[in-house]
Amino acid sequence: MTGSIEVRGLSRTFHTTVRRPGFAGALRSLVNPERVAKHAVSDVTFDVAQGELLALLGPNGAGKSTTIKMLTGILTPTSGTARVAGVVPYEERERNARNIGAVFGQRTQLWWDLPVRESFAILRDIYEVPKAEHAARLKEFDELLELSSFWDTRVRHLSLGQRVRCDLAAALLHDPPVVFLDEPTIGMDVVVKEQVREFLRHQVAERGRTVLLTTHDMTEVERLAERVVLINHGRLVLDGALDEIRRRFGSTWQLRATLADPHTEVAGLPGVVVVRREGRQVVFGPEGPGAEALSVHQALKLVIERYELAGIAIDEADLEDVMRAAYAQAEAAL
Amino acid sequence: MTVLPPAWRVGRVTPLGELHTPPRMTAALLRLAVQIVLVASLWHGLYAAAGTTAGLDRDQAVSYAVLAVLASRLREIDQYAARDTVIQHMHFGTIVYWYLRPMPPQRYYALRALGEQLYGLAWSLAGYLVCLAAGVVQPPASAAVAGVFALSMLFGQWVLYYVMLVIDQLCFWTLRNGAALLILIFAQNLLSGVYAPLWFFPDWFITLSSFLPFQATLSVPLSLYVGRIPLSDAAFQLSVQAGWIVVLALFTRFLWRRAARRVISQGG
Ligand SMILES: Nc1ncnc2c1ncn2[C@@H]1O[C@H](COP(=O)(O)OP(=O)(O)OP(=O)(O)O)[C@@H](O)[C@H]1O
Ligand SMILES: [Mg+2]
Repeated sequence: MTGSIEVRGLSRTFHTTVRRPGFAGALRSLVNPERVAKHAVSDVTFDVAQGELLALLGPNGAGKSTTIKMLTGILTPTSGTARVAGVVPYEERERNARNIGAVFGQRTQLWWDLPVRESFAILRDIYEVPKAEHAARLKEFDELLELSSFWDTRVRHLSLGQRVRCDLAAALLHDPPVVFLDEPTIGMDVVVKEQVREFLRHQVAERGRTVLLTTHDMTEVERLAERVVLINHGRLVLDGALDEIRRRFGSTWQLRATLADPHTEVAGLPGVVVVRREGRQVVFGPEGPGAEALSVHQALKLVIERYELAGIAIDEADLEDVMRAAYAQAEAAL
Repeated sequence: MTVLPPAWRVGRVTPLGELHTPPRMTAALLRLAVQIVLVASLWHGLYAAAGTTAGLDRDQAVSYAVLAVLASRLREIDQYAARDTVIQHMHFGTIVYWYLRPMPPQRYYALRALGEQLYGLAWSLAGYLVCLAAGVVQPPASAAVAGVFALSMLFGQWVLYYVMLVIDQLCFWTLRNGAALLILIFAQNLLSGVYAPLWFFPDWFITLSSFLPFQATLSVPLSLYVGRIPLSDAAFQLSVQAGWIVVLALFTRFLWRRAARRVISQGG
């Protein structure tokens, strides 16, 4: 229970006024505003165990940030409940605040005009962290994130990647058991991204922190998360291990074949479809969702038996493709 | 005995930001010097042309005007450049962090404002001593006047804190309504007597103003200082100021609660 997250039937509806287009429309909106309900999050249920890193995925507007805001206590749910480290976040915001750290990638909590280290000191005072402990933790974060080369710079002069690294450190300075990261690696180059991933792995594995992360970077998910929760249009689409998702969604393989004769007519085979063709190059993929699809070996056998080939290569589809298939299927199910 | 929690050091935010930006301090110093010279010569000139006006002699009027410039320095810090105004936090969405810390936003705001005022006070005091030495400002008539002035100034700044707070709190609702805020700020400057002592305005204006909190911020303490309000009236004026503090304290507390509700219903 110490650092676990429990989400039960969590829902959030926003009521907004529709802005009608044009001048007449604007006038009508003024006199007779039309209110619409937007179901940003609907009946979402999942758990995150202590010391687990869970990736919360979904396309833009899926409701990820809204979910995180409810779990951090900034937003009250319309219905459903949540518990973070045993505390109901939106009921006891301050108590929850001591248990959690949060980074909203595009927004900084650092003081714009102050050197980063001053921001850290202010946060230390707010969270009442003893000085020695603060210094030790800063040292640890510096080793992993290389902060000392720029932590005497004012925040306004930091690059985006530097700033977000500082924000990550700032969110963890009070040693919270639970960490929420909403697109923490936004705008980082590959080297820094890898550094941040290493940092997060360390925080989970060595410090036993529970991390809930949203990202649009599938490489990140692959490197960090063992489990993902996928939401779309506010609804939970699936909750499972990465492997399971690969199995369920889709083209888990591709065959890239080179035809011996460029004029050969190519058609699908039972359980195998042609994904695309460019001259002699033909890409085959499985027909239907992963669970019922042919295995790559069965498909290979069929293709080799049917066509005269100059060469063939097997590709396991990357997570990006898997997710695209998962999103598409979730869309179709609505 | 209560030990001060370490969080009081949040008050360092503004002074630190200023100290780390020396050009801003130079600019502030220059502006203060220019304003004082201009204001002093303006009132000298006016009196050379007109003699005693509105029950105030020349030295009183100059003292009033220069003190008004010095006092306005108390809260005149470029928070906009520091990206630390409520309206900017609303705009950038960083207001969520105020609600993500184990410190209520109202306490954070108050501590930060306190630090800002103490920093401004250092400036004002230094400026006051220079002006006093240069003979631009008259010393207070007696120790009693000085004491009453100090108390009234404290109350006045307290009222001003709440007025500025209300303006900031409005940003929780009127993100795109800068015009209303500008009007409020103008009213604050005009009705508090920063631009000119209130006795120069027509009677209806003074009556109107007496129903508003603005004159309690500056006009009252400065009038006490120059002797336009006699010491015998001081108790009444101080109690009016205290009344405004109570009313505004309750009102802003109500607004904080509404603002929090707005943040948690809109998600910042
Ligand atoms: N305060 C609000 N008022 C009205 N609608 C809102 C509000 N906040 C979010 N929404 C709507 O709720 C839906 C979910 O938004 P949310 O920010 O949670 O998406 P997201 O999954 O984080 O997307 P992204 O990947 O783009 O960050 C969107 O359609 C959004 O327009
Ligand atoms: Mg988002």
